[in-house]
Amino acid sequence: MHTSTWSDLREVELFLFYEAELADRSAYTDWFGLWTQELLYCVPCNSDEIAPSRKIAIIYDDRPKLEERLYRLGTKFAHSQRPKSLLSRSITNIVLGEDYHPATGGSVTSRFVLAEVRNEEQRFWAGRSQHVLARENGRLLMKEKIVYLLANDLPLSNMTFII
Amino acid sequence: MHSYNTISWHQSTPEIEGMVTPSRVHSRVYTDERIFQLEIERIFGRAWVYVGHHSEVPNPGDFKTRVIGRTPVIMVRGKDRVVRVLVNRCRHRGAQVCETESGNTKVFRCWYHGWIYNIDGSLAEVTSPAAYETPLDPQDMGLSAVPRVDHYRGFVFGSLTSTGEDLVTHLGGAAPMIDLLCDASPTGQIFVDGGSHKTVFNANWKLVGMDGYHPNVLHASVVAAWSRNPDGGLGSTHRESPFVDEAATRTRDFGHGHVMLDFRDHRIKHYDSLTAYLRKIAGGEQYIANMHAKYGESRARLLISLAGDAHLGTFPNMQLIHNQVRIITPISAGKTEVMMTAVRLDGVSDALNTERFRQQESFYGPSGAGSPDDAEIFERVQRGLVAEVNPWVEISRGMGRQKVDVDGSIVGLITDEVTQRGIMRYWKQLMTVA
Repeated sequence: MHTSTWSDLREVELFLFYEAELADRSAYTDWFGLWTQELLYCVPCNSDEIAPSRKIAIIYDDRPKLEERLYRLGTKFAHSQRPKSLLSRSITNIVLGEDYHPATGGSVTSRFVLAEVRNEEQRFWAGRSQHVLARENGRLLMKEKIVYLLANDLPLSNMTFII
Repeated sequence: MHSYNTISWHQSTPEIEGMVTPSRVHSRVYTDERIFQLEIERIFGRAWVYVGHHSEVPNPGDFKTRVIGRTPVIMVRGKDRVVRVLVNRCRHRGAQVCETESGNTKVFRCWYHGWIYNIDGSLAEVTSPAAYETPLDPQDMGLSAVPRVDHYRGFVFGSLTSTGEDLVTHLGGAAPMIDLLCDASPTGQIFVDGGSHKTVFNANWKLVGMDGYHPNVLHASVVAAWSRNPDGGLGSTHRESPFVDEAATRTRDFGHGHVMLDFRDHRIKHYDSLTAYLRKIAGGEQYIANMHAKYGESRARLLISLAGDAHLGTFPNMQLIHNQVRIITPISAGKTEVMMTAVRLDGVSDALNTERFRQQESFYGPSGAGSPDDAEIFERVQRGLVAEVNPWVEISRGMGRQKVDVDGSIVGLITDEVTQRGIMRYWKQLMTVA
């Protein structure tokens, strides 16, 4: 088992900050470029349980579904994001999983607080994220991103930006 | 700049009678907080309001907390297996006795002074009872029962008024449409327990209507995606364009405010391509066979091609759309919550139910391709309706070409506003009774 170093952690932090930057800018194409071929983008619903054959999630995307999501958001007809939300998120509490190895990647947990401005209002979204990162051709990419929204059992406003 | 979306400062008293005509509605109906309060009394305080489904409380002690208008209620299955709807309020000094949305319990306990109620509502225990000279009667001082409770195919409705039409009479022609969802299962059983998308938006509850005129425009981005991938998301349920007047789809008004986007005649034409899609799913072939065995060929063809999508609204607060049971909860004139609970069909493969869950995620919920655009447009409507320079909302589309069908329902083409007229006609009927 590899003991993670400061430089392992810093590389992952910079990756997560870069992901956040692209998500904040709604740079769909660049953000999509951070994913591996096989992927899971998941936001559980009502609780933190993930049970795709028994329950719906808020988001449960494989590559084709995520591609279609971003395609639709990029059209002129995605009214819930016209105009786009202004977004600013902070990523903190970044901890590498025990399985993390710089050569191959692995899991990382973090927390976020996201401020969203749209329709004359500032809204807050918060929770924790669990990424699985993979090293491909020298780059870190996302294989899995699970977002445990604190408010996943509350009535939510439109969440059609990248969470 | 701050936009307004409700009216509460106007001096004149709202006068309902003149605000709704067959072809148009005064926008105050959507924006006035005093009219909203009257709705809570005259509609949610009297009508049969949907509370929940039997399958949400399968075992004794299982409960869900919901609201009827503003009244917090508990839907709970007793030890006798009867499903009751009780008012969530201690008979002593008023605290809610059930503070979680769902769970299982042996008793309801008020944590203020320790009074305990059985799950049938009767009062079980009072702390230091000697102070009451006449002992409190367990039935009289139990949790109040909602005055009328009844169900249809497990859909539980409650009324805060003890008089009125019985539920089956009230549902009328909408009842067999509820069957279209239940009978999508080869055993006729559904479980409304697949998780709930919960959404909130700043607009009036009456905007969440059955509307066949908007999908090609508002949801153009989704319709475009269906032509890229006909089996993706809800594309697999909509074959060929259903939202044009040339299609066999219809708008329907059953009376009592119950309305429907009727996809039956359209979908059955695509039985072959819909079953081809089903056969690609594990258990799909078996599903088709089971449905034919249970319902006979003609009914099975209808049920399979409709895939449970009754697209029915029962007034005031329930809608059955695709694979969800939807509850509309009015919060204020300019704010509404919508909860969309996914359905599992009994007697079908996991793969089939899973596919239906993924379909719901694709369009509905706070991150779906459809619901957020609906919420967005409702909010734009709500902000526009505050302008009263010309206050009339036009619901006249297709008035000249609607017909009365053999079952007594009023029917129009899919883009016609038969559904809006049906809802507002009944709304006015209830609201003009003091």
